[in-house]
Amino acid sequence: MINFDALGDAFTLLSTSWSAWVFVIPGLLVGLFFGSMPGISITMAMAIFLPMTLYMDFLPAIIFLTSIYTGAGFGGSVPAVLMNIPGTSSAVATTFDGYPMSRQGRHNEALGLALSSSVIGTLSSYILLMFIIEPVSGVVLKMGPLELFVVAIWGLMLLGSLAGDSIPRGLLAGTFGLLLGTVGMNSAGYIRGTMGIPWLLDGVPTIPAMMGLLAASQLLNLVNTRHLIEDEDLRKISLKKILNGFRESFQFKTIIARGAIIGVIIGSIPGVGSSISNLLSYSEAKRNAPDGDTFGKGNPKGVIAAESANSSSEGGAMATMLALGIPGGGATAILLAAFAMHNIVGGPSFIANNQDIVYAIIISNFAQALLLLVIGLGFVYFASYIVRVPMRYLIPSVLVVALFGSYAIDGTSSGPITLAVFAVIGWAMVRYNYPVAAAVVGLILGNLVEGNLLRTYQISGGDPAYALERPGALFIMALMVISFSLSAFSKMRRKRKEGAAMGAS
Amino acid sequence: MTSKLNRRTMLKLSGGGIAAAAMASPSILSAQDAYPSRPINVVVPFDTGGYNDRLARAFAPFLSERLGQPLNIINRGGAGALLGHTYFLQQPDDGYALLCTSAAPYLPLNILTQDAPFTIDQFHMVNLPSRDYTMLATSTESGITSIDEVISRLKEDANSLSIGIQPASADLVNLMLMADALGIDREALRLVTFDGGGPTRNAAAGNVVDIALVGGQGFLPLADKIVPLLIFDDAPRDGWNSKLITEVSADAQFVSGSQRGWAVHSSLVENSPEIYQTILTAIEETSKDPAVITALTNAQLATDWFGPEVSNKSLRATAAVMEQHISLLQGT
Repeated sequence: MINFDALGDAFTLLSTSWSAWVFVIPGLLVGLFFGSMPGISITMAMAIFLPMTLYMDFLPAIIFLTSIYTGAGFGGSVPAVLMNIPGTSSAVATTFDGYPMSRQGRHNEALGLALSSSVIGTLSSYILLMFIIEPVSGVVLKMGPLELFVVAIWGLMLLGSLAGDSIPRGLLAGTFGLLLGTVGMNSAGYIRGTMGIPWLLDGVPTIPAMMGLLAASQLLNLVNTRHLIEDEDLRKISLKKILNGFRESFQFKTIIARGAIIGVIIGSIPGVGSSISNLLSYSEAKRNAPDGDTFGKGNPKGVIAAESANSSSEGGAMATMLALGIPGGGATAILLAAFAMHNIVGGPSFIANNQDIVYAIIISNFAQALLLLVIGLGFVYFASYIVRVPMRYLIPSVLVVALFGSYAIDGTSSGPITLAVFAVIGWAMVRYNYPVAAAVVGLILGNLVEGNLLRTYQISGGDPAYALERPGALFIMALMVISFSLSAFSKMRRKRKEGAAMGAS
Repeated sequence: MTSKLNRRTMLKLSGGGIAAAAMASPSILSAQDAYPSRPINVVVPFDTGGYNDRLARAFAPFLSERLGQPLNIINRGGAGALLGHTYFLQQPDDGYALLCTSAAPYLPLNILTQDAPFTIDQFHMVNLPSRDYTMLATSTESGITSIDEVISRLKEDANSLSIGIQPASADLVNLMLMADALGIDREALRLVTFDGGGPTRNAAAGNVVDIALVGGQGFLPLADKIVPLLIFDDAPRDGWNSKLITEVSADAQFVSGSQRGWAVHSSLVENSPEIYQTILTAIEETSKDPAVITALTNAQLATDWFGPEVSNKSLRATAAVMEQHISLLQGT
């Protein structure tokens, strides 16, 4: 649990040195800016500034980098809400309801919601982190392929709810995405579907493909509109409305709490992380909400669910990194590299010997979350001026930014080419009423599903009894079944009630 | 008629002048200044955070001091370093592009299994300080305590233990060579394939697989969660308390694991020997600098100086063994 002596030392550490604080605001700004640029991932933003930290002391360096992490985590949701482009892969589910809200002229509210759920998500994940950092290290490594497979299947259940009007079309689009996700070299060393193109060996580049499917296809369909928001009166930038959205999210405590817990747990599993947690949280929120049908059409709860989960994944990933010294994803790998540059080796011995530093990092992250609130508010305010730009300027500029962003990912033309190809696919899918979002979810989960199913098969030799040896997997499966039957049950009851009400009237 | 040169013409003229100066200056610079006269790029064919990336970033500031120019790290990950290696060769061989890579096993793998558009002879190893070794390890919770136990169980039933491993790796070659030497049925082994060393190690430490064969150096941060059982080398490494492959079977062959470090274009060595000499001297001095040795050792990075001759020879030896066992490297 909490070691109060170390906690006290941590406060001393933070309060005696101004240098620990100086870098928080620049870090957040850097993170917000880079995170909101489509194509620049959280990892890349941190990698760009990693060399600078060589000249800082250890604690300020880590605080600077975690500030970028926190800022970029939220930055990704700004273009997701305003332009349907997830700035990072962890903001995919934010587009589902955030963008429809913008188009209805509720952009202020949506951004406020996203900001407050992010801040609360980050805060609660670090509070959880203080308590679970030690137990987590015992559990995380136990997550085998079967457990991860079940998590991925849980994520896939989202396909059903993204289907829109036609379930078969939704499933077809999802399957298409899943198949795309298996392109490249699989875990067993077989190469499939690359058509001899070496850039496809690691699979279809996810971020450009996502930008093409979601953003470019949307923009091409908006060519004939004059503004993102048709009604001129709604095109206002209002701090008051942003703050209203900000307050609104406090009404949905269950959704935030569920999002935060999903985020921490999924975020702590190496190799899974925030790009999955936002999907899971969204899917759970949608199934459990009485107004689940309006998800995807601009329901604030969708934004809250996605944002609380993707920002709380940060805490989970940090727990794994601090407790085990292994990176859960790119961002924590950079942090470990920064540790190494200061001759500090992460892992169990680091936590045991440097509890004060660990607590100082956690406390500083509380402060970062609170500062994000202020800085994010300003950032969001200026970013939302985008809704005033006429579409004839906005569409080409967004496409150009997206194209540059897709080039920046690895500095080759594979990004822009992928973007162009998937823009056409996305446009065609929208034109013929196939849900693009289902294909994106399939694409993100494809590799996870396949790799872990394959490993489960390899370990078990195909014997289904293997599942009985994995209590963790059984537990997750049970959770999934309970969650599904509960929501089905409550839906049934609601329907019956509605039926009764109608009968009475 | 003083206004003949109006504003527009002046602008054109001055613009042209600036352009001309810009065009001319690099050639003037390169004619006057000795190498290096501008920043040098270090190509790392892996994403940020991996061993090569950490090595490049830790070594670069010290090397930069000696060369007198900043070093930019360029990460070109993907396709098992194939994309990064190809990219490196596309850079001019003028000494302004260095390569920091896991030369073995990735260069031979690119060539043997991925139809790489290059040969090993196009790369010249300056120094490969990091020489990893395959380690066979198990979780502290698995109940397995010795390699003899593993061998006897595999001899009895090769399918009895699940084995975490990376496909197309030196580790896989070592496992198969060991199986052959000890009379274990290699076809029946229950292999569980992971993408990358990190996930393989996590699976071993978490008791997800019974045993795993993977590069041993990466196990150091997880040392108290695993039991090292066997090291594929002829001398003890990194203080691991485990048997060596040579103790288990006198005639077992093995290949060394990843050999990581610094390389340049072979054409640079032939065409610009002075520039090559500058790079060689700078890397050698930096590698031997006590301050560098302390800094890198603390970060669990290697900085031993083996030199070009030893490094190139050992890379080629590994490549030759891998070529012998090419069938193992293609799909598991």
